[in-house]
Amino acid sequence: MGLTPFDRETLLDLTVNVIPLGILGFFILAFIVVNPFGWDPVISTIQFAIVGSMFVLLTILTYYAGKAISDAEAEMEAAEAAEGTDAETDESTA
Amino acid sequence: MAGEQLALTVLMGALLVAIVALSTRLENWRSYTPLAGGGALGEESTTVHREKPAGIVRWLTTVDHKDIGILYGVYAVLAFAVGGLMAFLIRAQLVVPSGAIIENSFYNAILTSHGITMLFLFGTPIIAAFANYFVPLLIGADDMAFPRINAIAFWLLPPGALLVWGGFLIPGIGASQTSWTMYAPLSIEQTQAGADLMLLGLHLTGVAATMGAINFIATIFTERGDDVNWANLDIFSWTILTQSALILFAFPLLGSALIMLLMDRNLATTFFTVDGGGALLWQHLFWFFGHPEVYILVLPPMGLVSYILPRFAGRKLFGFKFVVYSTLAIGVLSFGVWAHHMFSTGMDVRLASSFMAVSLAIAIPSAVKTFNWITTLWNGKIRLTAPMLFCIGFVSNFIIGGVTGVFLAAIPVDKVLHDTYYVVGHFHYIVMGVIGFAVFAGIYYWFPIFTGRMYQRKLGKWHFWLSMIGTNITFFAMLVLGYLGMPRRYATYEFDAAIAPLAQVINFHLVATVGATILLVGQLIFVWNIVQSWLEGPHVGPDPWNLKEEAPELYGREYVWHENRLETALADGGEEEDVATDGGEPTDAADEDAPDAADE
Ligand code: HEM
Ligand SMILES: [Cu+2]
Repeated sequence: MGLTPFDRETLLDLTVNVIPLGILGFFILAFIVVNPFGWDPVISTIQFAIVGSMFVLLTILTYYAGKAISDAEAEMEAAEAAEGTDAETDESTA
Repeated sequence: MAGEQLALTVLMGALLVAIVALSTRLENWRSYTPLAGGGALGEESTTVHREKPAGIVRWLTTVDHKDIGILYGVYAVLAFAVGGLMAFLIRAQLVVPSGAIIENSFYNAILTSHGITMLFLFGTPIIAAFANYFVPLLIGADDMAFPRINAIAFWLLPPGALLVWGGFLIPGIGASQTSWTMYAPLSIEQTQAGADLMLLGLHLTGVAATMGAINFIATIFTERGDDVNWANLDIFSWTILTQSALILFAFPLLGSALIMLLMDRNLATTFFTVDGGGALLWQHLFWFFGHPEVYILVLPPMGLVSYILPRFAGRKLFGFKFVVYSTLAIGVLSFGVWAHHMFSTGMDVRLASSFMAVSLAIAIPSAVKTFNWITTLWNGKIRLTAPMLFCIGFVSNFIIGGVTGVFLAAIPVDKVLHDTYYVVGHFHYIVMGVIGFAVFAGIYYWFPIFTGRMYQRKLGKWHFWLSMIGTNITFFAMLVLGYLGMPRRYATYEFDAAIAPLAQVINFHLVATVGATILLVGQLIFVWNIVQSWLEGPHVGPDPWNLKEEAPELYGREYVWHENRLETALADGGEEEDVATDGGEPTDAADEDAPDAADE
C-alpha cells in the first residue's frame, strides 16, 4: 500500500472496509488450502469467482470512494485556508 | 445444472454493469436538467407555494419534490395500514391450531399480499417519501434533476397497488397465493388471475422504483449546491445514493424475471418448469434481486438513524466516514450473498460455502455501524424525544435482527432453521423493528417541517413503547417457535408431535398474537396522532428541536430552509407564530430524561 494517494487519516478510515476484505481473503485462502470436496472445473471456478469478484469490486469501490472523499477534503481545506473557517470533517478520527 | 444457472445469473449481472457503465458515458446529465425541469415553468420549481394551483389539482399536477415526497408518504402510510391489517388477520388466524377465522386459501392470499404490500407498497415508497422531500434540501438543490420523471414515477404506484390488490378488489378472479417469493413451480401452476395482476403490479412498482433511483443518482451527482461535496455530503444522502445504485442493478432483473414468470403462466413458455430452466432458476433470479432488496430497504433507514440520532445525543455521528464506507461495502457485498436463501436446495457445498463466506463478510459493515451508533450515544447529552426513542429502539432491535441473521448465514444452522418461524422472526426484527422504527423516527423528527406543526409528544411516547414491547414480544416468540420446529407459511398447525411440541407451539403463537395486538394499538395511536396533529397541532417555530442551543453544529440544512420559509411566510403577513411551542419541549425533556439516559 506504499503507493496509495491517501494520507494516513484516510487510510485509517478505509480500514473499516479492510476487515471484510480480510475475511474474504481468508476464505479464498482457506478454500485453496482446505478443499475436502475436490476440484470441479465449473463449480470451483464459480466458487472462487463469487468470493473473488466481491473482493475485487469492494476494493475498487473503496478506492474510488476514498479518493473522491479525500480529494474533496483537500479542496475544502484549501478553500478554508484561504478563508479561515473551521473544518467539519475530522470527526472520524476522534 | 446449478453451475449453469449460476453462470447465467452472473452473466446477467455483468451485462447490467456494462449497460450502466455505458449509459454513464453516453450522457451528460446536467445538460438535460433545464428541459426536464419544465422549460418555461423553470421558475416554479423553487419554493414559492403561492403560485401552485389550489386543492386537488395541485396534488395531481405537482412536480415539486416536497409535494411528491408528501404524496409518497401518504401512499405508503395507507399501504402500511392495509398491510398491517392483513398481518393482524394472519395472527388472529393462528391463535388455534385449526385456524381461527379464515379459510386456508384466503390465509395464503393475505400472507402473500401482506409481504408484497409491506415490501413494495410501503417500504420502498416510504423511503422515497423522505428522500424526495429531504435529499434536495440537504444537498442544497432546487429540486430533483428530473422533476417530471419524479412525478411520473410516483403516479405509476397507485395503479401498481390496485393491480397488486386486484385479486381482492375484483370479485371472483382469485387473489394470488404464491407467497412473496413466488417460487416456481407453484407460481406457474396456480390458476388465479389475481396472481397475474399482482405480477404486473409488481412490475410497475419496479419500473417506478428504477425511475426514482436514476433520478436520485442524477440529483446527488449533479445538483449539489456549491458548498456540498463528497466529504461533507450528509449521511442520509449517501445511503440514498447507495440504495439507488442497488435498485438500478436489482429491480430490472426482477422485472425480467417477472415477465418470464408471466409468460410461463400464460403463454406456456418453460423458463421455470422442469423441462425448461427448472424451479431453481427462478430462485437464483429472484434472490439475486431479493437479497439486495433487503438492503435497499434497510440502508436508507440506517441513514435516517445515523442522521437523527446524533442530533438528540448532542454530538456528531462518531466515525462518520466509517459509516459512509461501510454503507458502500454493504452495497457491493449484498450482490454476493443471494444463495444464502437457498442453502437447503441441494446446491453444491462448495458454492454454498462461498455464499456463506460473503455473508459473514457483510455482517462486519453492519456491526461497524452499530458500534458507531452506540459510541455516539456514549456520554452524549441524550434527549429522549420520540424520534430519539425510536432511534434507540432501532439499534436494540438491529442487534437481535443482525445476530439472528449471522446465525442463519452459517450453513449447518440454516439447514435446521430454514423455513421455520425463526426466519420469520429474524427478518421481522429487521423489517418492523429496524426499518419501521427508523421510519417512525424520521416521521417524528421532520413532522414540524412538512406540517409546520408539532405532534403530541405524549402520544408519540405511547406509540414508541407499545411498538417496542409489541415488536419484541411478537418476534421473539417467533424465534422460539422456530427453535421448536414450527414451519413457516402454514395456515393451520394440527401436526403430530414429531414435527413440533404442539402445546408449546400453541402457547407461543398466542404470545405472538398478544404482541401483535399491542403493536396494532400502538399504530392506531400513531395514525391518530399524525392526523390530529397535522390538522390541529400547535404551530412550530424555526427551531422546534432547540438544536441551535443543544447541538449548534448539527442544525441541519433542512431546518435552515424551514427557518427561511417561516420568515418569508411572516413577511407575507402569514399566521402568527407560536414560537414558544418547542414541540419536543427540549428543555423539559432534557430535565426529566437525562438521568435515565446516563444510566444506560
Ligand atoms: C440488515 C438487514 C437485513 C434484512 C432486511 C434481512 C431480511 C431478510 C429477509 C426478508 C429474509 C427472509 C427471506 C424469505 O422470505 O425467505 C431473510 C432471511 C435470511 N437472512 Fe436476513 N436480513 C438482514 C440481515 C441479515 C444479515 C446481516 C444476515 C447474515 C449475515 C442475514 C442472513 C439471512 C439468511 C441466511 C436468511 C435465509 C434464512 C432461510 O431462509 O433459511 N440477514 N433476511
Ligand atoms: Cu439474504
